[in-house]
Amino acid sequence: MEQLGIRWIELLAQTISFSLVLFVLWKLAYKPVFTMLEARKAKIADGIANADRIKAQLAQTEADRQKVLAEAGDLANKIVADARAAAARVTEQEAQKAIAGAEQIIAKAREAAAQERTATLTALKREVGRLVVQTTMTVTGKVLTADDQRRLTEETQSKIG
Amino acid sequence: MKITKQAQQDARQLFRTCLVNGLLDENRVRQVIALLGEKKPRGYVAILTRLHRLVKLELARRTVRVENAVETSPAQVAAIQASLTKAYGPGLSFSYWINPALLGGVRIQVGSDLYDGSVKTRLEKLEQSF
Repeated sequence: MEQLGIRWIELLAQTISFSLVLFVLWKLAYKPVFTMLEARKAKIADGIANADRIKAQLAQTEADRQKVLAEAGDLANKIVADARAAAARVTEQEAQKAIAGAEQIIAKAREAAAQERTATLTALKREVGRLVVQTTMTVTGKVLTADDQRRLTEETQSKIG
Repeated sequence: MKITKQAQQDARQLFRTCLVNGLLDENRVRQVIALLGEKKPRGYVAILTRLHRLVKLELARRTVRVENAVETSPAQVAAIQASLTKAYGPGLSFSYWINPALLGGVRIQVGSDLYDGSVKTRLEKLEQSF
């Protein structure tokens, strides 16, 4: 060993000093560093987990938002459809009212025309009747014979009693 | 003029005394009026007024007015008088008139009753029916 340059005493002393240094380093340097690294590793893992959770929440929120938007869209479509239906109903009702009003006006006009026609016919009838009676009065006295006069008198006489 | 119930009752009673066999006797009417004028009972003016009205109504009820478009023949006069006497009883007062406006037929009025068979009335009814 001596031929190799190894001296047992120096080797032992160096080994002891190296062990001491290693011990000191282990206690004072490596262990806190490892502890800190472990803590940081845990923190990073937590951060990653939080990031994943936040991502998931974001995705959920986005899904909820899309769902709410879809529901709002459906509701809006339903409201628009209802409004259109109501407008159509109102339009139909107004149209029916207008038709009924027009029919009523036509009926009244027809009634007025019928009344006017009736009045005209009645007036015409009366006028014709008046002319007929007037003419008859003019000629009756001349055409009635004595027998006619006697018969008329007897007719009246038969009503007495 | 206000005529009391008593005056009306008295007038009706006097009027009944003026009737002979249901017919108004002119002489009795004259006697009743003369008696009232002579005795002048209480409210005699009202009684006379009421009696006058009753006599007037009775005369009107018994008066017959016969209107004919042509002259009524004696046979027709007799027939009309017989018919009316049969219907209304005796004591009717007849008056005959010629009314060419009737055109034809006869119109007989007895009190408030009217028998109108004239051509004029028939034509008027015809005219009204148009």
